[in-house]
Amino acid sequence: MKLIEDALKRGATSLSEYESKLLLAEYGIPITREGIVSTAEDAVKKAAEIGYPVVLKGSGEAISHKTEMNLISLNLKDEEDVRQAFKELTTNPKAEVKEVLVQQMIKGDRELMVGLTRDSQFGPCVMYGLGGIFTEILEDVAFRVAPLTRWDAMDMMNDIKGKKILEAFRGKPAVDREALADILLAVGQIGLDHDKVHEIDINPLKLIDGKPVAVDALVVFE
Amino acid sequence: MNDLNLDRLFNPKSIAMIGASANPSKWGFIILLNILKGDYSGKIYPVNPKEDSILGQKCYPCVADVPEAVDLVIITTPAKVVPPLIDECGQKGIPFGIVVTSDFSETGPEGAALERDVVSRAAKYGIRLVGPNSMGIFSSQTKLHAKMPPIMPLQGNISMFSQSGNLGVQMLGWGAEEGVGFEKFVSSGNEGDLSCLDYIRYFGQDKATDVIIGYLEGIDPGMELFPVAQEVSRKKPIIVFKGGRTDAGGRAAATHTGAMAGQSKIFKSVFRQAGMLEVKTSQALLDCARAFANCPLPKGNRIGIITRGGGWGVITVDACEENGLKIPQLPDKIIRKLDKHLPKYWSRGNPIDLVATIAHDPYLDCLEVLAEWEGVDAVIALGAGRRTPQYPYSKDVKGPQPLLDAIKMASEYFDQRRKKPDWMLEGIGRLVKRTGKPIIVVAIGPETLHRSNLYEFQVVSYPTPERAVRVLWQMCKYRRFLDSQQ
Repeated sequence: MKLIEDALKRGATSLSEYESKLLLAEYGIPITREGIVSTAEDAVKKAAEIGYPVVLKGSGEAISHKTEMNLISLNLKDEEDVRQAFKELTTNPKAEVKEVLVQQMIKGDRELMVGLTRDSQFGPCVMYGLGGIFTEILEDVAFRVAPLTRWDAMDMMNDIKGKKILEAFRGKPAVDREALADILLAVGQIGLDHDKVHEIDINPLKLIDGKPVAVDALVVFE
Repeated sequence: MNDLNLDRLFNPKSIAMIGASANPSKWGFIILLNILKGDYSGKIYPVNPKEDSILGQKCYPCVADVPEAVDLVIITTPAKVVPPLIDECGQKGIPFGIVVTSDFSETGPEGAALERDVVSRAAKYGIRLVGPNSMGIFSSQTKLHAKMPPIMPLQGNISMFSQSGNLGVQMLGWGAEEGVGFEKFVSSGNEGDLSCLDYIRYFGQDKATDVIIGYLEGIDPGMELFPVAQEVSRKKPIIVFKGGRTDAGGRAAATHTGAMAGQSKIFKSVFRQAGMLEVKTSQALLDCARAFANCPLPKGNRIGIITRGGGWGVITVDACEENGLKIPQLPDKIIRKLDKHLPKYWSRGNPIDLVATIAHDPYLDCLEVLAEWEGVDAVIALGAGRRTPQYPYSKDVKGPQPLLDAIKMASEYFDQRRKKPDWMLEGIGRLVKRTGKPIIVVAIGPETLHRSNLYEFQVVSYPTPERAVRVLWQMCKYRRFLDSQQ
């Protein structure tokens, strides 16, 4: 795939968030509406295309821990907000930000996580679990060796302690398990298709009307 | 899956034992004695240049002098002389060997180099090796007790591999105490050549094996545990006890996924995906093996419970629901059938509470109604498997004469009941056969009780409801796996 070849050619150790999601999208995984811009003017244009509210994120190879580096501006409601956020991001003393990712803002009611790791024993393994900060706190995750069958994917959803996260609650619909299974299968397929892809994080995977959408993603090479 | 035939390893027609010894403190003596005591059906040739005969067996100076073909060689000599001995065995055309000798890769780089030497020499001649650092093997067909401890396992349909010799033979010992029999056993040692994967594969195609159990610590990178286990699991259950489940320290990783991917978590997931049944304790390993080897598999997860006391019923229901097993309500037609056997005030629900009825007849009648009902897939029978105990009577007891007389009467009544043949357990055994559903008995009592329940009556019983429920949960999990593979 050109995306991966290009990144490897320029010596990158990972794909940016934007590129990572392009790769996911190639495999049919739903991602946020988004675009890369390098001027405030384009940021405003892109935001209008996407529809408010939006998120602005500093983009680039060296940038992977965006929250810690203060490189995310959430819930920008209008042009004014976008211009202000763009200025702040591009003048951040902690990182040299030349490009900015303008992204659809998703207020998910719950956060899931899907990932891929390449195990020395079992080869590419897909991970599923609770997302956001809970990933590390609860370590409530399950793995499956790729390729997954649809049954494996369905079984995996019941293989974590927090399995109820997929059920309807507080007026929100149940998660579309078939759509989630599609994502789990697709991530396994990426691992099988691309030896160079060592690990993938989709965290968080948020929900719009029960449909999962990749909000942040990271693809790491060997 | 390639066909690796280990028949001549487990059921050899003849064995040469290099390092056989007349000294009772040597493994070369103890293992030979175990083989002879076990009444091995083939021929055994001790090899030791310093002795004429050992334990009444003619001794040969070297393996080349053994007058006929040898299927299996057992080596207990010091490590450094093993490599040339392998050459001798190769020239003799021996197909299988067990290297009991330790001081190989488990001790460091020097031992590892020696092990590689042994394995590559064996490969040159096509000898397949168990070990090194193996505690030996057991096979019920040829009554071969080629192992270190003097434990005599019962015969059965369970085959076991163990990456720990001690833990493995301990299972054989516990099994003998609890009535759980084995078909084959191998202590896989350092797995310089044959590995647990080869044993899983072989046990998978072995007609005498119905259930595979194993103790696993680790496998070398690149070994195809997942596809092999998944294929075998479709044919027979593999119950696995994984040692080293805790990951020492955190992992430095670029992603959250990488950080979560501890070996134990991946293994746990892979076991489930491959249909293997993971247990978390040594006791659960044998508990599961006992039921899988002696009970039909339930078709679903609906459990009927029958009890002699309310509390036991309550905690059994709790344990079931916590493990995802369903406790269906009794329909009217079943309640009406049960009404005939129970006092008017019975609870009319599942669990069926026999409200402190001592007599056996209503228990068995009710159990029959419950087990035959199409609404349950398995039954837990609480308090069924206990035969009348000896009354705790002592001649030294002091007290007024009427009390002593009363104790004596009770004691005689108990003795009389004890003499009756145990038709209740027989009845349960028959019911399992007729309904094709597992009926798991829970009875408080010593292991000897569970041994005789199983060994004499083919009834699977446990001392606590929690253990019975965990086993049923595993059986239902396996059923789900089988159904998913169709």
